[in-house]
Amino acid sequence: MGAILEVLGRPDFAELLRTHVLLSAAALLIGIVIALPVALAIRNTPLGAALAVNVGNIGRAVPSLAILALCQPFLGFGFDTALVALTALAIPPILINASTGLREVSRDVIDAARGMGLSGSQILTHIQLPIAAPVIFAGIRTSAVQVVASATLATFIGGGGLGDLIVEGTQRNDTAILLAGSLSVAVLAIITEVGFGTLEWAMTPKGLKLAQKRTR
Amino acid sequence: MVDPGAFGLAFLQDLSSIEEPKLIEWDWISENFWEDIVPAIQGHIFLSLVSLAIALAISLPTGVLVSRYRKAYPPVTFVTGLLYSIPSLALFGILISIPGITIGPAPVIIALVAYSLLILIRNTVAGLDAVPAETIDAARGMGLTNRQILFKVELPLALPVIVAGIRIATVTIIGIATIGAYIAAGGLGKMIFDGINRSFPTMIITGAVLATALAIFADLSLLALERRLRPWARRRRTA
Amino acid sequence: MKNRTKLIRAVPALLAALALLTLTACGNVGSSGGSGPSAEDGGPAITVGSKNFTEQYVLGELYAQALEARGFNVEKKLDLGSEQIADKALQNGQIDLYPEYTGTSLVDVLGYEGEYPSTPEATYQKAKELYAKREPADTMLTPAQFNNTYGVFVRKDVAEKYDLKTLADLAEVSPKLAFVIFSEFKNREDSYPNMQKNYPAFDFGDIVIVNSIGGPIYQGVLQGEGDAGVGFTTDGQLASDKLVVMEDPKNIWPFYYPAPVVRSDVLKKNPKMKGILNEVSASLNAETMRELNAQVAIEQEDPEDVAAEYLQKKGIVE
Repeated sequence: MGAILEVLGRPDFAELLRTHVLLSAAALLIGIVIALPVALAIRNTPLGAALAVNVGNIGRAVPSLAILALCQPFLGFGFDTALVALTALAIPPILINASTGLREVSRDVIDAARGMGLSGSQILTHIQLPIAAPVIFAGIRTSAVQVVASATLATFIGGGGLGDLIVEGTQRNDTAILLAGSLSVAVLAIITEVGFGTLEWAMTPKGLKLAQKRTR
Repeated sequence: MVDPGAFGLAFLQDLSSIEEPKLIEWDWISENFWEDIVPAIQGHIFLSLVSLAIALAISLPTGVLVSRYRKAYPPVTFVTGLLYSIPSLALFGILISIPGITIGPAPVIIALVAYSLLILIRNTVAGLDAVPAETIDAARGMGLTNRQILFKVELPLALPVIVAGIRIATVTIIGIATIGAYIAAGGLGKMIFDGINRSFPTMIITGAVLATALAIFADLSLLALERRLRPWARRRRTA
Repeated sequence: MKNRTKLIRAVPALLAALALLTLTACGNVGSSGGSGPSAEDGGPAITVGSKNFTEQYVLGELYAQALEARGFNVEKKLDLGSEQIADKALQNGQIDLYPEYTGTSLVDVLGYEGEYPSTPEATYQKAKELYAKREPADTMLTPAQFNNTYGVFVRKDVAEKYDLKTLADLAEVSPKLAFVIFSEFKNREDSYPNMQKNYPAFDFGDIVIVNSIGGPIYQGVLQGEGDAGVGFTTDGQLASDKLVVMEDPKNIWPFYYPAPVVRSDVLKKNPKMKGILNEVSASLNAETMRELNAQVAIEQEDPEDVAAEYLQKKGIVE
């Protein structure tokens, strides 16, 4: 146990952790910046939405290692390549959820709002987005956890991150290093899951929370 | 130390195959198809199927039990959820630290099973929950025993949701099995890693594309099965 | 509805079948291409392992094929990620032998902490001695007579820009450069720490860790991900005029002569192995090794074919 703490105290551990978090955060942010506008743009076209969901579902089936590995022959080793691959992995859950969430806002609610004289964009900002927010956020949360987990694999294409520690521990048959790496990644993933879960709960408009409580 | 200037072999001067490696060497693929590619696919399918089978063997009975004794559901969800949130490479690392577990397919199968439990149990419970109480009552009224109700009424009706879970589990398993090659479990991931180690993009691309194709194939096949079992609902579910 | 019930009834049967499949087929998954030993063939079953970089693939294939040609039933496990993994596999019987380097075994496997022995022969003798004392004991056979040591190199334009010729020169400018290495090199005593010990100015601005020694490192440096890298002196890539190898007047590395390490009990049961393996080792020298490595790493030929061709040429195999 003490040996594990020793590894965590190593100067390069902080660097690896920093790279891991940076990779994940950047991939998630860029993924959101790409996926959300797309979902917004197609929210009123059933064909576009269906396409988005299908592409998203296929995207979710792609193994993380495959995407990371595929980028390597084209983009080389390093942080940037890993970022591109992780961004590609981040997009599908957000795209699916945002697209579905926006489209599933009940027609009645939208009609009522239109009846009250709200314009299209007002409906979007005041009605659709708030109602879809929890679903969209669930997608972001799924994406975040997946990105943090996949960032571990960045080590295989020279992207750095905590995966380096796991590989080092495996190569050197050093349980302390191995566990230090594995446990810190696990903890990071759990923190991400719980953290975003809390944010998701905070994002749910009060009315929806009450409604959800009633149906439980 | 060896004087590098002594290397006389002229053909070594040309490193273009490393600087700009050819992306796909089709000759290599056709030459090694039966020798390397097919065994990799076989190994991968094997790993995935075995893990899925074991996961089902554990999760189906557990799901049934937990749907009956709901108090057990939260702790079961907690444990399986915890396992699910541990990133695969990390879980492999933890498993091979345990004395007695050597690198090879065993830790990978254990991990793959662990990852599938959450979704499979959750969907089994959800599927069983969705069976209308009246249907069960009617069956009981007709004189069926609890066991008969389970197998003849509840499980068949729960099947679409269970299959939906199997679909997600299968795709997850196929994906993570690729990483298992790092700890010598074989499969398509081995082609990917060997390709990276040897700076040989053809192997990387072949392995990655085949793994992706396998995952998508499984996803679409199970989706088709799910749709056939569920003729009354065509809506897509969210992620 | 009836179809579904049938489906459900079939499930336990399916699972049982799969379970049976698992138990019988368990051994086959994971082996890297060699056929499993079969009882009918009569020859003793040997598993040859190797680490997973070019020279190791070649050496592993050479030893495996030589043994196979002389009546052994060889299974190959040429994908062990490091000497630690290989050693563990050796000691717990998953493999029976693998090619190791005298220096590596001393520093990284056998826990030797003294000064690096001053001659190749002394290095070998010390390693052999320590291997024999282990539990279970191992035998390090006669090494091939060449040194495969580290070659730290930089890209030609970097060498020209900073006028770099020796490791000392490189150390001075290292904070401005990125160093591409493989995982163990970063912290193993005979690797980067060794460089820092002897040339304390070493402090690379960035360290990029790639998956394996060899190809990825050369690729990384040539494509600009890093400015300096580390390779083996038997790598074909180091001959390129696009790379400049740094001189090491202090001779900081231990001697790394390749030698097969066999578990002693296996060797005792199969004394014939010694002669076969030694014959292969004796036939190799730096030039030959470089050429074989280059065929695999630069021309992308299969290690198995390269080894087969070589063994035939040398008359070790018909």
